[in-house]
Amino acid sequence: MSEETETIIKLENLTKRFGYGDAASYALKDFDLTVKRGEFIMIMGPSGCGKTTLLNLIGLLDSATSGVYRLNDEPVSRISARRQARLRAKKIGFIFQNFNLIPDLPIIENVALPLVYSGYHKTRRLIRASEILDRFNLKEKEYYFPSQLSGGQQQRAAIARAIVARPEIILADEPTGNLDSHSSALVMSELSRIHSEGNTIIMVTHNPSLTSYATRVIHMLDGSIDTDIKTVADSDLPVPVEKKNRRRPKNKKKSNRKKKTKK
Amino acid sequence: MALLLRTHYELARTSIKRNRGRSFLTCLGISIGVASIILILSLMGSISSLISSQVAQIGSDLVVVRPSTTKTAVSRVVDELTSSSMYLKSNLTLKDVATIEKLDNIASVAPLAVSVNSLSGDDDTFLPSVPVVGTNPDFIKIQNLTLKSGTFLKDDAPTATAVIGAKLANDLYGTGEPVGKTLTLLGERFIIVGVLTEVDDPINFNNLDLDSSLFVSASALNKIDNSLQIQQINIRTENTNDLEKTVKTIRETLIASKNGDTNFSVLSGDDITHPAGTLFSVISSILSVVAGISLIVGGIGIMNIMLVSVAERTHEIGIRKAVGASTGNIFLQFLFEALILSLSGGFLGLILGYGLAFLLCLITPFNPFVSWQILAITFSTALLTGLIFGLFPAIKAAKKNPIYSLKFWG
Ligand SMILES: Nc1ncnc2c1ncn2[C@@H]1O[C@H](COP(=O)(O)OP(=O)(O)OP(=O)(O)O)[C@@H](O)[C@H]1O
Ligand SMILES: [Mg+2]
Repeated sequence: MSEETETIIKLENLTKRFGYGDAASYALKDFDLTVKRGEFIMIMGPSGCGKTTLLNLIGLLDSATSGVYRLNDEPVSRISARRQARLRAKKIGFIFQNFNLIPDLPIIENVALPLVYSGYHKTRRLIRASEILDRFNLKEKEYYFPSQLSGGQQQRAAIARAIVARPEIILADEPTGNLDSHSSALVMSELSRIHSEGNTIIMVTHNPSLTSYATRVIHMLDGSIDTDIKTVADSDLPVPVEKKNRRRPKNKKKSNRKKKTKK
Repeated sequence: MALLLRTHYELARTSIKRNRGRSFLTCLGISIGVASIILILSLMGSISSLISSQVAQIGSDLVVVRPSTTKTAVSRVVDELTSSSMYLKSNLTLKDVATIEKLDNIASVAPLAVSVNSLSGDDDTFLPSVPVVGTNPDFIKIQNLTLKSGTFLKDDAPTATAVIGAKLANDLYGTGEPVGKTLTLLGERFIIVGVLTEVDDPINFNNLDLDSSLFVSASALNKIDNSLQIQQINIRTENTNDLEKTVKTIRETLIASKNGDTNFSVLSGDDITHPAGTLFSVISSILSVVAGISLIVGGIGIMNIMLVSVAERTHEIGIRKAVGASTGNIFLQFLFEALILSLSGGFLGLILGYGLAFLLCLITPFNPFVSWQILAITFSTALLTGLIFGLFPAIKAAKKNPIYSLKFWG
């Protein structure tokens, strides 16, 4: 693999078509993307350019019409539906614009949901969820229902749910879209903290001021990449705490250059 | 695996708790079906134990001869219901009684010729329909009856004598001690020579109320009533060791003495009470069909509620799939929900059914009947109903597309 950082996601000529024949439209067209571990990617672009479709494909909620998607070097088309579900539970965390908490479950059980599907006992699930909620200052609201929380609190709970199973990839689709600037800032600082712990984040946003948090900003247009700007060198990407020791001692510092590719 | 099942059980229980009212009503549908099955099984059980206790009561040494018919089970049931078997054209005669008496291993033989007649007592009391039993002195031994006062019928009685049931004595004379009084039957005067002690369970295997009957000699009755039919000949054997051989001998001897007429049957043990058995098995199978239908209706109720639940929770299904639920996980969650509903319905039905059975036993001579078979049948029918009717909604839930479901706000 790459000398520097591990490649976690690799998309090659990924195409997503909706409809057939004359009614066919392409949400993604020959999309190429390589994501390294520890990147914080912001995806921007006009409405309908295929951002959500891209996240759904990366998050294994949908499958591509053609092209290859390698997750940790394994083509996902060869992964069974059952294992894809397990991967969603353990390796991928989703954050949505509309929070998507289950209204009938208390916050703590919403947060523990991914653990239900990765084989944890109920007590361990709740202990772990409680720990995470503590981190998000929501501990005293554990047994509140989603409707009893503010939008910002709900989104923080949703972020807690996304990271509760310690996933490798966090996919956020306009997580601040429904929030005011104060709550947005709070949510972004949480995401930034998660990123600094070595997590890979791919986030869709319409707010250009948030790009300062990112290590890479991608502009999309009509189902393909328009611009792709890296603001942090791969070698300077944060490293997962537990993986630091395993990393090859090749700390040959690369210059902090800006890489710019124009398609 | 165990963890997986437990997790799904927890999930299902949570969502059932969320919709308590609706879940309860759904359970009720199943409960009614299960309750009626329990009620029927428990009644069937108590009736058959009643029958076998009757058999035990009449003794294993009893053999009866009945005129047989070539009727089907159903028309025999109809006959029983309308009691018309009492007036069946019989080919049994007093001569047959005499023939049987001469055989080996026979302790006593009594004919049973029941007709319903009007009676009038000494002081012009008149009873329009009283069962009159034409029999012989052996009858009291065969039926294990005792006398409250007086004597039973005797072969060599000089006058026309009669023995009276305790209840009939009261109805006719207003006293329990009418020995010596007279009554008029078919224009003939009879003198009362004895009164029977009241019987615990007056309706016996002949469907005859002994306490309200009048007993006279069959030969005396034959003289005044030329339409008299012998419906049955009751026989006690001396020992029960070779009962089958005795039954066979009786049959063969009778066929020979009746010039090859085979239109009668010689019965012993359980077979004696068998006609009652066919009656109740026909009734109970009709009831079982009704109970089965109500169970199906209950099952459709479960399916309906589960389909509503799946539609309502489309968004939840989308979320669960997004955070890692597999098709199988969702399937199991909804199937477990249906199973919990149907099993709790079954449990409720068990309580309801036995409650009703106990109530019914208070007003009928039956004893409530509980057996592990009934519990097993209840449990398995409830399980099966949940499985069958929960399958389709669970498959529907499992197959939902996560992206579509996440967009769906229900
Ligand atoms: N299920 C579908 N069937 C048909 N077309 C679809 C479907 N889902 C998405 N599309 C189309 O694919 C294109 C990309 O949609 P997508 O939701 O990815 O856009 P987006 O970039 O997320 O937009 P927005 O910023 O408004 O969320 C759109 O033109 C949309 O109409
Ligand atoms: Mg979108």
